[in-house]
Amino acid sequence: MLARSSTSGIAPMTDPAPAFLALDGLSKRYADHVAVDALTLGVAQGEFISLLGPSGCGKTTTLQMIAGFTEPSGGAIRLEGRDLVAVKPARRGLGIVFQSYALFPHMTAAENVAFGLEMQRVPKAERARRVTDALALVGLSALAERYPRRMSGGQQQRVALARALVIQPRILLLDEPLSNLDAKLREEMQIELRQIQRRIGTTTILVTHDQHEAMALSDRIVVMNAGKVEQIGRPQDVYERPATPFVASFLGKTNVFEALVERGADGAAAVLGTVRCPCPPHLAGAGHVLLTVRPEKIAFADEGLACRIVSRVFQGTYWLFIGETPAGVATIVCQNDGAAQPGEGESVHLTWRADDAALRPLSGAGA
Amino acid sequence: MSRNGPLALLFHALVMLFMLAPIVIVCVVAFTPEGFLSLPTNGLSLRWFKAIAGYPEFVSAFRDSLWLAALSSVIAVGVSVPAALAVARHRFPGREAVSAFILSPLMIPHVVLGVAFLRFFTQIGVGGSMVSLVLAHVVIVLPFAFRLTLSTATGLDRSLEQAAVSLGASGATLFRRVTLPLILPGVVSGLVLAFINSFDEVTMTVFIAAPGATTLPVRMFLYIQDNIDPLVTSVSAVVIALTVVVMALIEKLFGLERLLAGEGGGRS
Ligand SMILES: Nc1ncnc2c1ncn2[C@@H]1O[C@H](COP(=O)(O)OP(=O)(O)O)[C@@H](O)[C@H]1O
Ligand SMILES: [Mg+2]
Repeated sequence: MLARSSTSGIAPMTDPAPAFLALDGLSKRYADHVAVDALTLGVAQGEFISLLGPSGCGKTTTLQMIAGFTEPSGGAIRLEGRDLVAVKPARRGLGIVFQSYALFPHMTAAENVAFGLEMQRVPKAERARRVTDALALVGLSALAERYPRRMSGGQQQRVALARALVIQPRILLLDEPLSNLDAKLREEMQIELRQIQRRIGTTTILVTHDQHEAMALSDRIVVMNAGKVEQIGRPQDVYERPATPFVASFLGKTNVFEALVERGADGAAAVLGTVRCPCPPHLAGAGHVLLTVRPEKIAFADEGLACRIVSRVFQGTYWLFIGETPAGVATIVCQNDGAAQPGEGESVHLTWRADDAALRPLSGAGA
Repeated sequence: MSRNGPLALLFHALVMLFMLAPIVIVCVVAFTPEGFLSLPTNGLSLRWFKAIAGYPEFVSAFRDSLWLAALSSVIAVGVSVPAALAVARHRFPGREAVSAFILSPLMIPHVVLGVAFLRFFTQIGVGGSMVSLVLAHVVIVLPFAFRLTLSTATGLDRSLEQAAVSLGASGATLFRRVTLPLILPGVVSGLVLAFINSFDEVTMTVFIAAPGATTLPVRMFLYIQDNIDPLVTSVSAVVIALTVVVMALIEKLFGLERLLAGEGGGRS
């Protein structure tokens, strides 16, 4: 059977100590640059973690260090408290799925899946049973005898997943496993991947540059940029409360307005039109601050920030507006609930809840 | 083929003709009843095929040629595989030099190699032996084995081996079960080309061959220096016939295309 003595798969919000997998100040330096810079991360057993970031930010390098194919320049990797760097890659017992699938072209689907069990010298009868189970798990029982070159990308992907899972890996490492699939298939595979991972409870680390994929699949997301961790948190936290401007802009669209800080009876507030957002004390002294708010958190109202609609695009489930305000260009997303929507050229007012906005100083990157 | 215009077809036909005509003519001349090289005009005869039996040195030279080609191509492949894998995967000091060194016999005229080996083998005391022939042939067929192995080793997707390692394979098992099958097309084509080049070689071999250790082409070369009878054509015809039979057998057993182009049919 595939299932380990699994945990419930519920992710804790804070790292328990010691974590199942701990990366401690993990670094990789190449001659001319730093690919991964002092990455520290604790992964709980059964957790699904995504490393999310733009191309070249060091996600693959991190995964390769965990797998043992790249030697860390510094820091430590511990699995269940034991130093993993000292363990040979072939002895780490990790399952890996590559972007290219990396199926053995000279073996059938079943032979590919059986390979890891052969290496573990699992007896033939048990091997056959586990291969059958693994192929059934990914819905490929019918194609067991087929060679990879005669399979579609999605089918190869499933074989690769079955091959990695059949050895009951301690951790499943996925390097952009879905990015070679077309959009529709990718969405189906995301759902399936999540269901499979929930069912068998394998601790999983997914590398992706696709924010939607990371948010759809993960218990927690590690947002990376230029080798450094920008933020670690649950998808909704990272999205709703981005710790840095980079995270805010990388995870979905966001509006950035320049707001005036006014002192009133209720303390300092950032003011845009008639919308007032309370200022935290450390920003109260500034003349101006930057206010960020997600497009879907903005609503049309009778009063607020004046805005002239420049363009209106129908997107099926929602409307997308681009508007001009005294504070800058605004992007607004409205659910298509059947109600009448403002037209192009119309003047409207924008408003949002103070809780949905984040403030930061004009210059500098701090939040 | 139907895409080609009439001019292109004519061109293809002429190229084929040009390549095949000498082989056909040799085979036809082999059946002449005359005592000199001529196209058989008054009847066919097996006279010159029977004549081979009177020259056992041709038969033994043929056998030696096969052994020599087999040994030198296998040794060359044995050296090439680790060398090609190292050059394809690692950036180490002297990497270019290793590559250039192994390929260098291609650049040196075989006459020069022949003279050099003759002197060298006499000096170290293995002159005129089968050992000296094998050593020299390994050197000249190595570039072919290396070049073709390198081409598949370079194209090898590292993640395939990484996948195998993550599944617990390492060392000899990794090589036997994953790496070798993946580079097999290059290895096999390298082996075949090395074999053919060894079997074919005259220019260098003629310098280092000795009565006790010689090859079929050298034997034939020496023979036609003194004789102009059609014996060499019947010997050639036999070699051609054997080649065709071997090719047909390989095709039937393994599929030539699969072996050389790596269409990967898999283990049974
Ligand atoms: N072997 C290497 N030598 C030098 N630089 C490398 C090597 N491998 C990766 N890099 C660099 O390290 C950085 C991170 O790469 P990578 O981890 O593959 O990024 P990602 O997977 O996030 O796209 C990149 O700038 C890349 O060019
Ligand atoms: Mg990558």
